[in-house]
Amino acid sequence: MNLKTSILDYINDVKSGSFTVEEFTSTTIQRIKDVDDDVHAYLSLNESAIEDARIIDKKISVGEKVGACYGFPISIKDNICIAGSKTTCASKILENFVAPYTATVVDKLQNEDVVITGKTNLDEFAMGLTTEFSAYGPTKNPWNLKYVPGGSSGGSAASVAANECLASLGSDTGGSVRNPASFCSVVGLKPTYGLISRYGLISYANSIEQIGPVTKTVKDCGFLLNIIAGQDSNDDTTIDNVNSDYLSDIEQGIEGKKIGIIKEMTSEGLSPEVSDATKNAIQDFEKLGASCEEVSLPTIPYTVAAYYTITSTEAGSNLARYDNIRYGYDFDSEGYEYNSYISKSRTKFGPEVTRRIILGGFVPSAGHAGKYFLKALKVKSKLISEVNRAFEKYDFLISPTAPVQPFQFGEKIDDPVTLMLLDYNTVTANLTGKPAISVPYRVTGGLPIGMQIIGNSKSEKSLLQAAYALESKTELPEVPL
Amino acid sequence: MVDEEEIIRVAKLMKIDLEDHTEHVGRVKKMLEYFDILDQIDLSSEEIISQEKALAELRKDEFIPNDTKLIESLKNFREHYVRAPKMN
Amino acid sequence: MTKIGLEIHCQLTKLQSKLFCSCKANYREFQPNHNICPICMGLPGSLPRLNQKAVESATSIAMALSCETPEKIAFFRKNYFYPDLPKNFQITQLNVYGDMSIGGEGYVDVEGKKIKIRRIQLEEDPGRLIYEGESERTKITLVDYNRAGTPLVEIVTDPDFENPRQVRVFLNILSDLLENLGVSEPGLEGAMRADGNVSIEGGNKVEIKNIGSFHDLEKALHFEITRQKSLSERDIEIVQETRHWDDRRKITVSSRSKEEDQDYRYFLENDIPWVKIDQETMTSLQKNMPESISSKKERFVEKFNIAPQVADILASDKYYSDLFENAHSNSDAKDIANLITTDLMGFVDTKEKREESKLTSHHLSDLIAAINDKTLTRTSSKTALQEIVKSGKSVKELLTEMDLGQVSDSSEIESIIMQVFEDEKQAVIDAKENPETVNYLVGKVMQKTKGKADPTKTLELIKSKLN
Repeated sequence: MNLKTSILDYINDVKSGSFTVEEFTSTTIQRIKDVDDDVHAYLSLNESAIEDARIIDKKISVGEKVGACYGFPISIKDNICIAGSKTTCASKILENFVAPYTATVVDKLQNEDVVITGKTNLDEFAMGLTTEFSAYGPTKNPWNLKYVPGGSSGGSAASVAANECLASLGSDTGGSVRNPASFCSVVGLKPTYGLISRYGLISYANSIEQIGPVTKTVKDCGFLLNIIAGQDSNDDTTIDNVNSDYLSDIEQGIEGKKIGIIKEMTSEGLSPEVSDATKNAIQDFEKLGASCEEVSLPTIPYTVAAYYTITSTEAGSNLARYDNIRYGYDFDSEGYEYNSYISKSRTKFGPEVTRRIILGGFVPSAGHAGKYFLKALKVKSKLISEVNRAFEKYDFLISPTAPVQPFQFGEKIDDPVTLMLLDYNTVTANLTGKPAISVPYRVTGGLPIGMQIIGNSKSEKSLLQAAYALESKTELPEVPL
Repeated sequence: MVDEEEIIRVAKLMKIDLEDHTEHVGRVKKMLEYFDILDQIDLSSEEIISQEKALAELRKDEFIPNDTKLIESLKNFREHYVRAPKMN
Repeated sequence: MTKIGLEIHCQLTKLQSKLFCSCKANYREFQPNHNICPICMGLPGSLPRLNQKAVESATSIAMALSCETPEKIAFFRKNYFYPDLPKNFQITQLNVYGDMSIGGEGYVDVEGKKIKIRRIQLEEDPGRLIYEGESERTKITLVDYNRAGTPLVEIVTDPDFENPRQVRVFLNILSDLLENLGVSEPGLEGAMRADGNVSIEGGNKVEIKNIGSFHDLEKALHFEITRQKSLSERDIEIVQETRHWDDRRKITVSSRSKEEDQDYRYFLENDIPWVKIDQETMTSLQKNMPESISSKKERFVEKFNIAPQVADILASDKYYSDLFENAHSNSDAKDIANLITTDLMGFVDTKEKREESKLTSHHLSDLIAAINDKTLTRTSSKTALQEIVKSGKSVKELLTEMDLGQVSDSSEIESIIMQVFEDEKQAVIDAKENPETVNYLVGKVMQKTKGKADPTKTLELIKSKLN
């Protein structure tokens, strides 16, 4: 059997008896053993994966109803709670935190008989673009182990790209699913804000983040979305997706569709390789029958500043609860006074999280909110109007997902502004709440490039059609690992 | 120009102990200086907006008992209290 | 001129669940940390779920206080670190992007003076801290989160009070109002708390926090006014600050600039969408609101001809007005009202007494019926009530058991009158001369019969005997 298969093909194979769930799971686990010392996509493994697989095989053999997943292996980013399992957010401060409940998305998948392989690595508390900020060591890009896999869902993307599982669930606050998807040559979707429940996702910037599927193919993405999307009473910010079926009609094509090429995301700042790939992608879209033209969104140059202002404010607040009093790690408070105990506990935060928390105390503070935080909120409003206007004219907006290809470890980590600007093309979808997908487009010099398609709110069905159409034009090499 | 003293004061408010503080303060300062770009855009006609929900869509008022063992899985002390350091 | 303002926190104890989760709103029966869940503990990944009835109850309070209510309400985070806050922020309300807290610009009439209600907001209560250990060295803090997330309505007044007595009257009116609305039981321990602010002669305003009870509030206000006045007399400036009430020493103490260092970094609570409260909902809430105290009072006076002071007592106390409404038929309303507010009151004037009482509205109507058909004297009714409250026995049972039946037999009364005439020879002479004093003799007969003699008949017979 081939681990390089897709979810849909896997399901067909299991149904037709080509192999059992246990066989596939064992092979996957072996693969993890073989490569993960190098890739380091996983922070922890599910010890009962084989047993879970056996239970599903039993169901199949006795003719009992089996969930839609048929036991395909999925990895889960370690900022998503699973009851009884350690959920660390790649931080030392949650080293011993065992979640007492399960996130809705995982619950939904488990009800459909998925097999969870383990929890994947991330930038600490999802703050970062390269997974270099994990407190447990970085994840390596399976395409070239000296290069970053992107972030913050680096472990998710790498585990799928390295065939250590067939899909993953990551989270996307400013590009954290799309960016590593682009860097690892897999599909990554950030859905419309509210489409997928955040219950059980450990909050970083709750006003804009979403859990997003990472898959090998666009169809697999639709398949997963069908299972995990939908209103959840445990999350008041979820919206009604009117029971859309994201997989049916996915091959419809984009004949006659109007595509806007976002000017500000496709001009300077792109590496020559990315620029070239973008031009080809546009040609491909045109060959598929869509009309493409440039559209300017003048607020975009301000979005990175607005994004970091808003997210650091929310992070400063969302991470305030980590004072090691109710849960956390072993550190006795005997002899300490309250303020010094908390400050000492919070030295367990890594450097990037520490900096964001400080920022998050500064920009909304009484003396500075007017200059930073309130302005950032207004940039968000302005951007939303601008993008809504664009969608009156266009069906989709496109850009390359990242302005550059993956780079080496340590290359970008020292200059904060350079690092922030890696998000330049992706934060718009988060700030506006619009769905956006990264489709693996090309591999040049052994390093992947992904294309981003942004759709209007709740348009995932047609967005996946556009993504599928583009995907059908690509011919990608296999990962060398 | 962002005052470094101010950054240090804010860190304290956020219960962040700046041991190696030069590095963090400098870096935070750089990020804040980048945010100055927000001064260049006209935001005068913008309003804050949000998702909305109808009253009828909210959770119904019902008592549903939760797992009473929850406290045992967290850091608790004699007779199920949570122990905190002494307050000033 | 003294100016006092109040910040009252009232728990919505009549709700079933907390503000953002389904744990019990009234936490008092639980062992420590046994009324908690991932949401009210603020566990990583948990999300708040707003309680629909809490919004309705708070809106009703706003309407009862004549407040304006917004079309949409929003919630905000107030960020600060404290062990009783599981998330180290409190979800509360603020009027930052326009008026979005549950109510504002209302008033309460206190003895003719309009006390302005500046703002009402819905927010969550923190947990409770218990300090253990006596010496400074061994002191640790124990935290019980059972209360964390309990729905609170915060009511902020303008500094319209002129003295602590007005404050007391206001708080009684407010308690009665909230109980009448059926949203809270202000008598429960900790269900209603108030902080205050004081300024004198247009000077700086001093906030006083950490006040345990309404009783302490009055003391704290008196102390603070005195403190400010003595400073002012010595031309010392009154510092604008927050002070806390030290219950042990019975003084207010400066809170050591803790507040000044605070920055709450208020911003929208994005896990809770803005909630639209449409006109239909408002109308329906208005319609289903229990009758207001003042409206009840008016109705009692006008429809049943009950004396205003009696109507006041009945209307202000939900326990009494419920008893009254269920007991009376229109004809005996006045009698029932009087019975409650004179004879019954002493037996059911506390929460504990009411909880133990076996009295029902039926008892009251039966009692009045017995009085009106003269099987029971008005005076014996008090004894009967005491027994009913204790045992719940029916009036019929009691009439036989306790020999409370009215003595209306003329010859029986006559023989007692003759005894009294014998004992009170001087009074008889006085009564012959001055008929006004005959009640003394009636009283003596009532005494001898232990209140069972028919007073009208007794008076008649005495008068005829005197002539």
